[in-house]
Amino acid sequence: MSADHARPRRRLFAEGTTIEDLKTYMAPFAATLGYKLNTESEFVDEVLASELEILADTGDVYCPCRVRTGDPKEDAMIVCPCIPFHMVQFAAIRKCWCGLFIRYDVEDGGELLGVIDEPELGAQVEVPVCRVNDLAPGQTKHVKAGKTDYALARVGDEFYAISNVCVHAFGPLADGVLEGHELACPWHGWRYDVRDGTTNHPDADVAAYPVTVRHGYLWLTCAL
Amino acid sequence: MTIRVYALSTCPYCRMARKYLDDNDVEYDVVEVDLLDGDERAAAIAEVKDISGGTSFPVMLFDDEIVVGFNKKRMMELLSL
Repeated sequence: MSADHARPRRRLFAEGTTIEDLKTYMAPFAATLGYKLNTESEFVDEVLASELEILADTGDVYCPCRVRTGDPKEDAMIVCPCIPFHMVQFAAIRKCWCGLFIRYDVEDGGELLGVIDEPELGAQVEVPVCRVNDLAPGQTKHVKAGKTDYALARVGDEFYAISNVCVHAFGPLADGVLEGHELACPWHGWRYDVRDGTTNHPDADVAAYPVTVRHGYLWLTCAL
Repeated sequence: MTIRVYALSTCPYCRMARKYLDDNDVEYDVVEVDLLDGDERAAAIAEVKDISGGTSFPVMLFDDEIVVGFNKKRMMELLSL
């Protein structure tokens, strides 16, 4: 077995998988991340035809615009849709690298084909991170955008985001218990106010981030 | 001007970039990285990373000028088209 094939093969995509199969499979979970298939349907079919060639050769649907290096970690980051690994960059250019997927609010995907200049490193970018309907009142949810892990929380129809990492022992706050505006860490019960990240322990607050609600999605502002 | 194109056989933007060069009768060398094997492939990937800092395609060298992706505007400038 070569290094190229070190990752497990996708049994999901059996022999005879078609372009339409890939669309049907990918589109719903790309939608949860704020993306849809490009409106340029011929381009979409061209990209997916390439992915089918790659699938037949390698056992998975790698991005046709990126090269497999043989490093399993690097290669996992280019399995289509690769949106979760590049949330901030893609939000900035409003599409994935190859343009198969475009941000849900882009009307004409054709204008994004080719190279789109990225904002400079460090620029603030609004990133869609979750559908409103995927976070019920009283629930929390972990999302990752760029290098930051966030705990989203919904109290009634208000949405909040704080760091997902408890400062006590680095517990995952989004797995905790939300009572009113207080989120208790699942590991040792440290309690944080989701409105501002404050806690009743001295010098132990976590960062809080503004959440914008637009067209059915929650948006966070992240550094590129 | 010496032009070298690092491309993937599966990449739509590589096809667009090469078609643009072909349509304008521009001569260039091409390295189809995904069609290489073993050490040749590893060396080509290392070259691409060294030139562009990543593994996006196409990567084009117009003498010493680097263009990553099908950046038609930049290609036109470099080719004086």
